[in-house]
Amino acid sequence: MIVGNRKEFGEILEKLGTARRVLVLGCNECVTVCGVGGEREVGVLASELRLYWQKEGQDFAVKEHTLERQCDYEYIDAIRPLTGEYDVILSMACGAGVQYVAEAYKPRLVIPAVNTTFLGVTLEQGVWSERCQGCGSCIVDMTGGVCPIARCAKSLLNGPCGGSSGGKCEIDRDTDCAWQLIVDRLTESGQMERYEEIQPVKDWRTGRDGGPRKRVREDLKL
Amino acid sequence: MRLNYPSNVKVVKVPCTGRVDMLLILKAFESGVDGVYVAGCMEGECHYLRGNLRARRRVEQVKKLLDEVGLGGERVEMFNMSASQGQRFAQFAREMTERIRSLGPSPAKKNKEVLP
Amino acid sequence: MATVENEEVKGGQAKPVGAVLVVGGGIGGMQASLDLAESGFYVYLVDNAPTIGGVMSQLDKTFPTNDCAMCIMSPKLVGTGSHRNIRVITHAEVKEVAGDPGDFEATILRKARYIRPDKCTGCGECAKHCPVTIADSYNEGMSRRAAVYLRYPQAIPKVYLIDREACIGCGLCERVCLAGAVDYADEACQEKIAVGSVILAPGFEVFDAARRPEFGYGVYPNVITSLEFERILSATGPHRSHVLRPSDGTIPERIAFIQCVGSRDKKCGNDYCSSVCCMYSVKEAVIAKEHVPFIKPTIFYMDMRAYGKGFDAYYERAKADQGVRFVKSMVSRVRQQQGTGNLIVTYLDDQGKAAEEVFDLVVLSVGMTTSQAVRDTAARLGVRLNAYGFCETNPLAPLATSREGIYVCGAFQSPKDIPETVAQASGAAAAAAGGIAAGRGTLATKKEYPPETEVASAEEPRIGVFVCHCGINIGSVVNVPSVKEYAATLPNVVLADENLYTCSQDTQEKIKKAIQEHGLNRVIVASCSPRTHEPMFRETIRDAGLNKFLFEMANIRDQCSWVHMRQKPEATAKAKHLVRMAVANARLNRSLGETAVPVAQRALIIGGGVAGMTAALRLAGQGFAVYLVEKEELLGGNLRNIHRTIEGEDVQAFLTDLIDRVSAEPRIHVLTGSQVTEFGGVRGNFTTAVTTAPAMTAQKIQHGVTVVATGAEEERPEGFLYGEDPRVCTQQEFEGRLAAGGEEAAGLREVVMIQCVGSRNEKRPSCSRTCCATALKNALALKRLNPAATIRVLYRDVRSYGMLEPYYAQARREGVLFVRYEPEAPPVVAREGDSLTVSFAEPILQEQATVKPDLVVLSSATVPRENRELANLLKVPRTAEGFFLEAHAKLRPVDFASDGIYVAGSAHAPKLITESVSQAYAAVARACTILSKENLMVGGVVAVVDGERCAACLTCVRVCPYDVPVVNLRGEAEIDIVKCKGCGTCAAECPARAIDLMHYRGEQLEAKIGALVEG
Repeated sequence: MIVGNRKEFGEILEKLGTARRVLVLGCNECVTVCGVGGEREVGVLASELRLYWQKEGQDFAVKEHTLERQCDYEYIDAIRPLTGEYDVILSMACGAGVQYVAEAYKPRLVIPAVNTTFLGVTLEQGVWSERCQGCGSCIVDMTGGVCPIARCAKSLLNGPCGGSSGGKCEIDRDTDCAWQLIVDRLTESGQMERYEEIQPVKDWRTGRDGGPRKRVREDLKL
Repeated sequence: MRLNYPSNVKVVKVPCTGRVDMLLILKAFESGVDGVYVAGCMEGECHYLRGNLRARRRVEQVKKLLDEVGLGGERVEMFNMSASQGQRFAQFAREMTERIRSLGPSPAKKNKEVLP
Repeated sequence: MATVENEEVKGGQAKPVGAVLVVGGGIGGMQASLDLAESGFYVYLVDNAPTIGGVMSQLDKTFPTNDCAMCIMSPKLVGTGSHRNIRVITHAEVKEVAGDPGDFEATILRKARYIRPDKCTGCGECAKHCPVTIADSYNEGMSRRAAVYLRYPQAIPKVYLIDREACIGCGLCERVCLAGAVDYADEACQEKIAVGSVILAPGFEVFDAARRPEFGYGVYPNVITSLEFERILSATGPHRSHVLRPSDGTIPERIAFIQCVGSRDKKCGNDYCSSVCCMYSVKEAVIAKEHVPFIKPTIFYMDMRAYGKGFDAYYERAKADQGVRFVKSMVSRVRQQQGTGNLIVTYLDDQGKAAEEVFDLVVLSVGMTTSQAVRDTAARLGVRLNAYGFCETNPLAPLATSREGIYVCGAFQSPKDIPETVAQASGAAAAAAGGIAAGRGTLATKKEYPPETEVASAEEPRIGVFVCHCGINIGSVVNVPSVKEYAATLPNVVLADENLYTCSQDTQEKIKKAIQEHGLNRVIVASCSPRTHEPMFRETIRDAGLNKFLFEMANIRDQCSWVHMRQKPEATAKAKHLVRMAVANARLNRSLGETAVPVAQRALIIGGGVAGMTAALRLAGQGFAVYLVEKEELLGGNLRNIHRTIEGEDVQAFLTDLIDRVSAEPRIHVLTGSQVTEFGGVRGNFTTAVTTAPAMTAQKIQHGVTVVATGAEEERPEGFLYGEDPRVCTQQEFEGRLAAGGEEAAGLREVVMIQCVGSRNEKRPSCSRTCCATALKNALALKRLNPAATIRVLYRDVRSYGMLEPYYAQARREGVLFVRYEPEAPPVVAREGDSLTVSFAEPILQEQATVKPDLVVLSSATVPRENRELANLLKVPRTAEGFFLEAHAKLRPVDFASDGIYVAGSAHAPKLITESVSQAYAAVARACTILSKENLMVGGVVAVVDGERCAACLTCVRVCPYDVPVVNLRGEAEIDIVKCKGCGTCAAECPARAIDLMHYRGEQLEAKIGALVEG
C-alpha cells in the first residue's frame, strides 16, 4: 500500500492562508489503512481546524468527506455539488489522489494534507515499512525476496557497502542492512550461488529516471 | 464515600475507556469544554483486558494535537483508579480542576462555526 | 472405600425439589448460588450477617494479582442480589434441616432487623442522624459507626439495620426516614422452606490471637491481627488507606509479620496449616510498602508456603525487588518497649540462635478456624466435623458432607484461598444439582414479558423524565422541582415528573402508566447510580412494552448531590446539565435486539484422567451427553501412577470404579486413542473434529461447552544421577515400588528424598505443589513397612498446607529427618565406588554432611502434558510454564476468557486428586450454566460493522482483546455478536469509522458531550 505521513498542522494552516471554507477530503484506500487519511483522520484534522479558528475567533466552515478512492474520476466527480461551497479542498489522499482531485476541480485550490512517503507493508499495528520504489523491473527473485533498490540506503545491487555492521545499516542502528537480509535468506534457502552472480548496471529507464510513466492495457480499454 | 469534588466535573459513561475515541475528546473541546480527563481502571486490571492501555495512547496523541492547535496538551489527561477508590477519583477531579483553572478557559470557545 | 458419589437420588421417587439452600453468602456461597440459579434451580441464600460478601468484603487487595477485592467482588454481589432466582435471606440462621435428599424442609430463623427491607432505600439518612456511635465490626473495631448501619457501602441487600444492643431508642431515625422503613416493633420470625439439596459455605473466622498471650494481642496496642491490618490498608478502612499504627497514629516504619498464629500449633489444638497466611502476609507487606515506600516489612516464618499458581513468583518478587525481608524463625514472644509503644520481638533463627529486634508494629498472621455458631449449625444439621472443627469430607469426594444431600465448599471444608473456594463453590453447586437434576426448571422462573412496542429509529422521540428526591439525599441539595421544570423544556421531552423515591414499587407502576398515557418511547430517571438501579428501571419499562435500551439514567445523587453538598446552587445547575446530557443521549437511543441462539446441549471433554472422567460422570448425571476424548488407549491419565492418597485411600480401586462407571454410562461417548484436530464456534455451539487411531477415522462433534482436562505428569528429572544409577528414582517410581510390596522396603536402611527437583528454579519458577505431600506420604509408607529405615528429606520449604500439616508432624514424630537446603547450595548426588553418596549443607551444625543412602528419591516437578497445539486450536492461553491460564486468577478459576471453555485438573496447575475432583465438579457447574439453557441471548451492547465503509485494514482484528473480528469473504470486517463483549475498542480505532458500539454510538456520545456545555 501507499504509506504517508500527516503534515504538521502549522504547515497546513500556512498553506490554507486566508481560506476559511475548507472541504477536508479523505480517501478510503491505502491512506485509511495506514492511518493517515481515512474518515477518522479527516475528523481529527477537521476538528483541529475548527478548534484553531474557534480559538482565533474567526468565522469558518469545515466540511468532512471521505471518498471511496481519490484516484478514480467517477468517485471524485460524485462530490462536484459539494465542492462549490468551499474555497479549498484539503486532500488527505496520497500524491496521486491530490493531483487527480486538483485536476477534476481546477481552478479550485487543492492542498495536500499528507506527505506521501513510500510503498510499504504493515509490520504491526501502527508500524509500516518501505518495501518498493516502483523501479519498473523487479529482481527480488535474485535477492532472496528482499529488494536492494528499496531497502538498501544506497540501492546497491552487488552486495553491501562498508557501512554494514552487525547486520545494520550505517544510516541508523534500527535499519536492517538489506544485503545482510539478502545473504541470510539466500543462505537459508541454499541459493548462495545467486549472490555470486554479478548484477549488471541497472537500467533505470524503466523507473522514474526514464521520465513519467504511463501504462496502457489495450484489452481492457473501452 | 460522598467526598466532595468540584461541581464542574461531569461524567460521560462509557463501558470501557477502550471506547474513548480521540474524536470524542476533540469534539468535547469543540463544544467548549475547558478540559477532559479519561478515568480508566488501574493498569493491568482492565475488565476488557487492555482498553485502558489503548485509551492512554490515544490521550497522549490528543495532547500532541492540542499542543499543535494551541489549546495546550495539559487540558487532557488520563487517570487510572479502581472502582473502590472514591478518594482517588475526588483527588483527580480536584487536581484537574485546579490545573484547568490555572490554564484559564479554553480559548476555543470564543467562536462557533458560522459560515453557511 | 467411602461413598464417593451420593448425589443421584434413587430412581422411582417423586421429582426432587428444584431448589437449593446455600448457607453462607461469602464469595463461595455467592458463586454456588449464581451457578445454580443460572442453571435452572431456585436458591435460598441464607447468611448470618446482615449482608452477603463474607470476609472477602473486608480484604483490601488479593494475591497474587493485587486486584482490589471489592472491585472484583462487587459484580458478584450485585448479580446475586438482583438474580430473580436467588432469594437472599440475611441476618438469619438455619435452625434445622429435616427430610431426605431431594426433599428437605429447612427451618430458617430471621432475626429482627428493625428496618423494613421492602421500604428501606439505603439512603443512609438514619445513620447520619443516629446519636449513638459504637465500634465498627467491619473495620475490626478500629472505627466507629452508628447504631443503625449498613455493614459496608456496597452491601447487598442495601438495607440498613438497627443494632438494638447499642440503640438507645431515641426515635430519631424513625423521624428522619421519609420512606417509613423504621420498625422498632420488628420481631424474629421463623420460616420453613422446601429444598432438594443444601450447600454449606459458612466460611471461617480468624483465630482469636489472644489465645497466644505471648504475643501480647489485646494488651499492647501496636500488636494487631492481619485482618485488622487488611482494614488499615483499605481505602474504606479506618484511616482511608493511610498506614497508621493504633497507639499514636504514626506511620510504622518497621513492621513485623508473625506467621502461623493459631496454625500449625498443637498447643491450641490447631495442628493444621491455614494455607493462606504466608501469601496474604507477603501481599500485605508489599501493599504497605506501596503505600509508604519507607516501610520495612519483615516476615517471620517457618516455611514459606507459596504453593499456588504464580505464588512463588510473587514471593520471589517481594523478596528480591520489593524489599520485603523474610526471616525463617520461630518467634517466642513479643514485649512492649517502655514509653515508645514499640515492640521487641524475640525469636530463634534458623540456626537455633536467639535474637531480638524492635518493631513499630507487629501483625499477627492469624489462621482460619470454624466459629462456634457454625459448629452449632453443623451439629443441628447432623453434619460431622473433623478433629479441628472443619467439615469432615473424604479426599476422593471432597464436596460431600457426612449427611447425604448436604454439600460443602470453601474454608469450612478446610482452610483455603479465594480461587479454591470459588472452584469448590462451583463444584458444590454441581454436586447439589446432580442429586436434583430432575427438578431443574421446576421452581426457577423465567420472566414472561409483554410483546415489545416497535420504536423505529426515524420515529420522533417522546421522552419522559422522572427526577428523584431520593428522600432528602438529592432533594436537600438539588432543587428538584426546578430540575423537573428545566427537563420539561428540553427537546422531545413530553413529560417531566418528580418522585420522593423513584425506586419504590408504586413509582414503578406510575412510570408504566405514564408510558401508556403519554405514549413515551424513551424514559429517563434522574436519580442514583445505574450500577445498582438501572437493571430495575430497565425491567420496569420492559414490563410496559419498551425495549430496555430505551432507558437512560442521569446520576444526580452519587455524581451530584452527594459530592456537592455544600454548593447547592451549583449542584442544581449540574443536575440540569446531567439531565440535559441524558436527554441528548436518550433521543438517539435505539431498541436493540437480542437474538436467541440455540444451544447444542452436549459437552466435549478433552482428557480422560480423574478430572475429565469426574466431569463426564457429573455432566451425564445431570442428563447431558458427553464426548470424552482421550489421547491414550486407556483412560486414567496420571492417576494410573498413584496408589494411595496420603490419607490412605486406595486410588487404584477408585480409578477402576471411575472407569467402570464411565464405561457403563450410556450418555458418555468415550473416544480413546483420539485427538482434537479442528476446533471452531462459540459458547453454545462448538464444532470439533476428532481423529481416532489406529484408522485415523475422523468425526465432527457439535457441542455447547468444552472442558479441557489434559492433565500433567511427573517430569523426568535431569541430573542427580537419575537414569544413570538405578538407586536414584522419582517419587512416583518409589510409590510404585512401595505399592508392589514391602520386600524392597524392608531392605532399605537409608533413603534420601530431594525436594524441588526441577521446580522453583529459573526455568520453572513455580512450586509443583504436590511433591511435599507425596514425599510425606511415601516417607510414612516406608516407615510403616520398615520403621528402622533412616529417611532424610532435603527440602527448601515444607509445603504441607491445610490438612496435610498433621502428616508432616507425624513424619517428624516417626523420626523422618527434615534438612533444609538453599537453592544456591543444592544437594549433590555422586558415586563413590559402589556406593551412592549425597552431600548437603547441614544448617544447624553449619557443616557439609555426606550420607550413603541405599536409595535417592527425587521429588520431580509436575509438568503439563503436551498441550501447545491444543491451546492453539482452542485459542486459549497458557502460562510461561505451559499450564492453561484461566480467565481470572481469583474469581474465575475454571473459566477461560473465551466463554464456554473450561479447565479442570492439573492442566490448570499441579494439584492433588481431591483438588482435581473439586475442580472437575466446578467445570460441570460452569458448563451447566450454558447447557441447561435451550437458547442463549446475544446482542445488545456489541460492536457493529458498516461493511460499505470498511477498508478491511485489519485494525479491529488486531486491537480486539478477544480476537473477535475477522475479515470475511466479502473483504469486510465481521464481528460475531455472540463473541463480542462490547468494550468498544474497535469502534474507537477503526480508521474508516466503519464500526460503532451499539448503545454507545459515536453519534450518541457526541450529542451527550455537546449537551455538556451550556448551549
